[in-house]
Amino acid sequence: MDKKIWLMSPAVILLLCFCVVPLFIMVYYSLLSDGTRGHLTLQNYADFFEKRIYLKLTWKTIRISCCVTLISLLISYPMAYVMVNLIHSGKNLLLLAIIIPFWTSQLVRAYAWQNLLREGGILDIMLRKLHLIGSEPLGLLFTPYAVIIAMVHIFFPYMVITIYLSLEKVDIALVEASKSLQAGPLTTFRRVVLPLSKPGIVTGCILVFVPSLGVFVEPRILGGTEGSVIGMVIEDQFFEIYGWNFGAAVSFILLAIILLSMAVLSRLAKKEA
Amino acid sequence: MLKKTIGWTYAALVLLFLYAPILVLMALSFNASKYNALPFTFSLSWYKALAADTTLIRASLTSLSIAAGTAIICVVLAAMLMLWAVQTTSKLKGWIDALVVLPLTIPWLILGLSMLLLLSAAGIDKNFTVLLIGHVVVSLPYAVLVIKARLQSMDLSINEASASLGANEWTTVRRITLPLLFPAMLAGGFLAFVISFDNFILSYFLIPSGSSTLPIEIYASIKFGFTPEINAASTLLLAATTLMILLIVVIMRSSLKFFLK
Repeated sequence: MDKKIWLMSPAVILLLCFCVVPLFIMVYYSLLSDGTRGHLTLQNYADFFEKRIYLKLTWKTIRISCCVTLISLLISYPMAYVMVNLIHSGKNLLLLAIIIPFWTSQLVRAYAWQNLLREGGILDIMLRKLHLIGSEPLGLLFTPYAVIIAMVHIFFPYMVITIYLSLEKVDIALVEASKSLQAGPLTTFRRVVLPLSKPGIVTGCILVFVPSLGVFVEPRILGGTEGSVIGMVIEDQFFEIYGWNFGAAVSFILLAIILLSMAVLSRLAKKEA
Repeated sequence: MLKKTIGWTYAALVLLFLYAPILVLMALSFNASKYNALPFTFSLSWYKALAADTTLIRASLTSLSIAAGTAIICVVLAAMLMLWAVQTTSKLKGWIDALVVLPLTIPWLILGLSMLLLLSAAGIDKNFTVLLIGHVVVSLPYAVLVIKARLQSMDLSINEASASLGANEWTTVRRITLPLLFPAMLAGGFLAFVISFDNFILSYFLIPSGSSTLPIEIYASIKFGFTPEINAASTLLLAATTLMILLIVVIMRSSLKFFLK
């Protein structure tokens, strides 16, 4: 069998050389004092933890990601529930309708929100015409709210699809059994349906929370100074300041946070399953 | 009946949230106003301006050729990998599965700049080969997952049937396995194409200076000054991606599950 190892080696070598090795190089750079030369040092990491601004930005990034995940969950669970339990006829069409924007450019979708939210933008005009807001502008653009709205828009389809898949697997016989044991609809939902769909919820949370931590385009376009996140620090270090070593250290810290949150969330899934 | 009405109302609201920004952007690309102002006056002037903009056209051609290259390489690599995976009993398989999905867990921001650091460590300037490799690395998992989904729903005993009828392994691969995998390879290729064509972050980090791709041009004009041509360019990009996705769904109608990461 292992004569066929040539079949898999191109893909594996490519991934090793251009995905795994670069990560190690990144760690190495994060430990250098100056550019490609310099001596080994932990100063870059020390800088990160000593300057309050970076810790504050990291905390803000985590908070924004939590908000995005929570709002996505609040939108997605009812949507998935509706698709599985209330609408049978159109659910494939709905699934398709949710999938299509999900694969279209994130950049363009963030830009679309900029168009909608800016002062004198469409939303501003419409709300004023409907007399829902007064003469003062909406003032949403260049705030963290704009970033959160766009990120929910970009990431919540992941959540709908994973919850949908887990709700679809819930055995209707269990629901019937719960009813026949005199449980009301709410009790049935809380004690039967919700626990059974937990793996879907956790997977969905991973798929929304993890990419949220690494964004920089959406905050750059929509966030202004109030909405900056840690991903932007990394981009700035590489493109504006040429502080590659510090940038590599921040990237590695971000990666550690991502891996840690994935580990915690997936352990949660295992415990509940 | 009431439940159904509530259900559809909720679904309609969610779809409104999902589609409104995209549709407004598309509508504005046909609006005459330079500042996206209302009232709406139909005009094709931004598309005309786009057609005359050689920078944007050149960037789009670059995007197209990178995406085409990425798609072909991804399909070939993914198909080879999966042909190995269905036959092997090797213990390496678990590790290789993990390796293949690794680019999905690491943000593209970090992947892109780690490749940039690789270039600097090797003392090489940014070039198109590395840019292409970067696109392949992030698109490959999707192609693999699509082909894997197809393989899992296939009855692999037909390979044994073919062998028992005297076909050698190569004949079986060529006449049985590959034709059966073909729809998945096509879908995986289109998916890799879409991901590469839309990919801003990897290109942003790895593009050789003096060149650009369509997403890079869009980002630059959002960031550094507003040009309504970008509405037109974005609309074309959205329309093209949507068409491709519909095509993939038609090809892979049997299962939508591969759309999951």
